[in-house]
Amino acid sequence: MQNLDVISVNIWQILISLINLVLLFLMIRKFLYQPVKNVLAKRQSELDKQYEAAEEASRAAEESRAKWEETLSGAKAQADEMIEQAAQTAKWRGETIVDEAKSQAAGIVRQAEQEAQLERQKALDDIKREIVEVSGALSEKVLEREINEDDHRALIDSFIEKIGENHE
Amino acid sequence: MKEKSRRFLAVDIAYLGLMILPIVAGIVLKVLTKPASDSIEITGAQIYRTIPMPVQDLVITESQINSWLVMVAILGLCLFLTHGLSTRKAGVRQHVAEWIVETVDRLVQDSMGTYFMGFAPFVIAILSLSAFSSLVTLFGLYAPTSDLNVVAGWAVLVFVLITYYKFKCGPLQYLKSFAEPVPFLAPLNIISEVATPVSMAFRHYGNVLSGSVISVLVAYALQALSNLVLGWLPGVLGEFPFLQIGLPAVLSVYFDVFSGCLQAFIFAMLTMMYVSGGFPSDLYFARQAEKQQKKMKTKKMEVM
Repeated sequence: MQNLDVISVNIWQILISLINLVLLFLMIRKFLYQPVKNVLAKRQSELDKQYEAAEEASRAAEESRAKWEETLSGAKAQADEMIEQAAQTAKWRGETIVDEAKSQAAGIVRQAEQEAQLERQKALDDIKREIVEVSGALSEKVLEREINEDDHRALIDSFIEKIGENHE
Repeated sequence: MKEKSRRFLAVDIAYLGLMILPIVAGIVLKVLTKPASDSIEITGAQIYRTIPMPVQDLVITESQINSWLVMVAILGLCLFLTHGLSTRKAGVRQHVAEWIVETVDRLVQDSMGTYFMGFAPFVIAILSLSAFSSLVTLFGLYAPTSDLNVVAGWAVLVFVLITYYKFKCGPLQYLKSFAEPVPFLAPLNIISEVATPVSMAFRHYGNVLSGSVISVLVAYALQALSNLVLGWLPGVLGEFPFLQIGLPAVLSVYFDVFSGCLQAFIFAMLTMMYVSGGFPSDLYFARQAEKQQKKMKTKKMEVM
């Protein structure tokens, strides 16, 4: 077996070595560099996607929270309004009832007064008539004669008027 | 699930085999072909076969074979590291692979700029091939990097790249740069241009070779010293070179491990420096923009 000199130049060996380096470059790019780069890129894109999803979720949560708050405050206002309305209605109805009752009572009282008046008138008329009859009969009996009907009546009326005045 | 994991393991073992078997094969080849000798031999790589070719005979040497074995081992390592990559559950292996890629990416980004990001795998290739070629000495194999031809091949490739990028930036500018500052200095300029790959090749090769030469010399000297000092001991004890224990290991750590990795790093850094230095990308982009504008103008003229 021979050995090469310590310093020797061989063109073909140089060429082979050059091609070796090119080959190794291609191999490393194919089997180490690109797979790793691909994985890194994929991981980055996955991370981005995750972040995006998280942001999306938080935004949706925020949105729904705002919506719920809005709804809640709306409901509160509605409830307040309803209560107020109910209170107003109740007040109005109470007033109406009281008014109605008052007017009814007043009507009743007025009717009663009217009836009483009527009754009184009737009683007065009855008494008047009776007094007239009685006094007529009495006078007939006393005088034994018929007095002038008209004079008589006027006299009696004035008398009764007086009685009424005194009476009242 | 279990079936799948078993297949995964089998592929893993195959890749590991692809990584380790070349080294074992190299050791076996060396043991079979190289006769053991006690004398100092500082020679080049062993020639296995000579193939007649035009200009010069092609010799298949130990350095070629070892460099192919190293390439196969690196391929196995790459496959092993990238086997079972996933976006979620990254194991130690994937972390190592990502660390390599990201570190070299950052290195290329810092020293070459974004335009040259495609150089990252090339830098990984130079770094790994150079470092592992020097490190095979740890297995007792002949380091391909201590053969000038191997390193010269890489340097020539780098020279081609440098020249290509200089030409791409501006062919006329490139040719004109030889006649600067005065035309009669052109020969010196040409020499300095050619000196780049030559210096790169000789630096790398010289460092690795000198390391192994010093190691051999020191080991031989220690053996001689051991014989001299401890030769009076009876039997095997007298022949055993006790003094060879210790110092050669320390030297090996420096020359084989540290120097090998350092030279790989230097070679890669120089490659990046020269390639990006010969290609001022901002100038290139300015010229491209100018060209684009000119084109637009002529188009407008035509339209008018």
